[in-house]
Amino acid sequence: MSSWVVESVQAEIGASVPWPDDVALYQPYEVEQILLPDSANCLSVKTFLHMCGLNFNLELRVNAEEMSPSGKVPFIKVGAFLISELDPIIAFVNTKGFHISKHLSDTQQSEMRAYMALVENVLVNAELYLSWCHEDVYYEITKPRYSSCYPWPINLILPLKKFAEIKSRLSSIGWYNKSFEDVCEEINTCCQALSERLGNQAYFFGDKPTELDALVFGHLFTLITTDLPVTKFAEVIQKYENLVDFCDKIEDTYFKKKNLKA
Amino acid sequence: MEGDIELDIWHGDWGLPTVEPKCLAVLTYCKFSGVPVIVRKTGNPLKSPSGELPVLRHGNEIQGTTEDILNYLREHQWGCDNKLSNIQCADTIAFCSLLEEKLLPAILHLWWIDGKNYIDLTRPGFAKASPFPLNFILPGNMRRKARLRIYSKNGENVTDGEVDLRIYKDAKQCLNLLSKKLGNAPFFFGDRPSSFDAFVFGYLAPIMKAPLSNNQLQSHLLACPNLTHFCKRILKDYFPNDIYENEKKKENTKKQMSGLAEDNPNKTKNMILAGIFAITAMVGYAFAIGLIQIELSDKESEEEENPELHKSQPETDKHHENQQTYEQFEPLFEEPGGEE
Repeated sequence: MSSWVVESVQAEIGASVPWPDDVALYQPYEVEQILLPDSANCLSVKTFLHMCGLNFNLELRVNAEEMSPSGKVPFIKVGAFLISELDPIIAFVNTKGFHISKHLSDTQQSEMRAYMALVENVLVNAELYLSWCHEDVYYEITKPRYSSCYPWPINLILPLKKFAEIKSRLSSIGWYNKSFEDVCEEINTCCQALSERLGNQAYFFGDKPTELDALVFGHLFTLITTDLPVTKFAEVIQKYENLVDFCDKIEDTYFKKKNLKA
Repeated sequence: MEGDIELDIWHGDWGLPTVEPKCLAVLTYCKFSGVPVIVRKTGNPLKSPSGELPVLRHGNEIQGTTEDILNYLREHQWGCDNKLSNIQCADTIAFCSLLEEKLLPAILHLWWIDGKNYIDLTRPGFAKASPFPLNFILPGNMRRKARLRIYSKNGENVTDGEVDLRIYKDAKQCLNLLSKKLGNAPFFFGDRPSSFDAFVFGYLAPIMKAPLSNNQLQSHLLACPNLTHFCKRILKDYFPNDIYENEKKKENTKKQMSGLAEDNPNKTKNMILAGIFAITAMVGYAFAIGLIQIELSDKESEEEENPELHKSQPETDKHHENQQTYEQFEPLFEEPGGEE
């Protein structure tokens, strides 16, 4: 059953059950397998759950993509429910009574949603473009990693199938025909907007984190730190110092602390 | 700036200058910024470099996509976004992607994928607007593009029905967010219109005005009074001509409806003419088949018989006269014999 259909059921059943201890977050293997866009999405979800102060066990699976109800990673398993992707996970967590953006006014709520759409519209597509449409990255990184877990004949077929899927997705919004410079320009515009909005604040809306912070951190941090043959995207982002500081700070607060504790 | 700026857009209807959301957004942006555009309503997007409308032509420059047009106008200092602060500019970019991400899929679905709307309104409308061979191809093509735009984003495990549910849910949430953001202000960013206002108007006005048979977004939109007021105000302030034309058109159709009874004499006249034509055609055909020959032969036979009659009559007369003369003479011979 898909995560979207489940949503309405969750609203009724989910609210009464507290957050169980055995929540699991499923994703592909970090070192050998995961691709740039998936990695960014997983990091966003993990950051969001950390911000809510919710516990989860990280489960690495070779076939996480096929296990997911919507075909996308990451997904979480809470009791009987499987929920994939950030938006449905946020909605689900909200029904459990955890709101990290509760303190925002109506206008701020809509602004937050708008910036989240901006990140999804620009950064996600740019990551897909870089991984699948840039020749060097595709042959050196994406193809070997994506086919790493499959045996001989299908390791040639599945990357092509996935490529066709990504191609139709990017061409439907006109990104497939863009040049690499155009994509860099898009990222630049997006980062400029994010940087303006962030200003000198600790988080995008005051001193408390919101969903937007988790999403922006997940994507920017992945783009800056991932080791790729092409570093142009990271260079573009690093021009905006406040965004880089913002990423460092969130990493310190939510990831280094956890590691020390562990 | 030298030369005329021409903007090619789709046809208009229902009191709107154009029915296509992106064309309407660009046109509204031009009106907001006071760009002296010459609007050309066309139905042939093949002349555009991107194969889509709107197209902006200025001298030798041709801009084929919405983004390019706005960037081009901004570069030439035609912009209504100049007065915005940096943060407001950032907000404009963010909210535009919100529209693109959450509202556009539902709008495309409403116009192109929803079977009833597509067959009743979208396909006939666009087919009528485009020239002859294109009108068969274009609506189907545009529908395919819309389908790709909506469904290509999702993985294999998700059915189309689930996507439909999700995009309408997203769109309704997006309308709520817009309504909250607008509040009671005249425009989204202060007192002056911005490019974002143009986009919101471009997307929402057609939904509000179109007589779509399946329009779940319209009812949701009508429940947000500040958004509907926003659209109506822009329509009134910036496109008064189109409202006027629409009212005129409505009156005309009303007149036509009431004038149907007066058309009846014409009808009978036509019927009579048609009858006459039919009869002449039938008679002509009858002549062609051979009626003419029969009639001709009748006349000839009459003409042939008549001279004989004329000739024979005098003969008989003569015969009778001879007989009479004979008869007259006979008694002369008999009388003397009888006397003997």
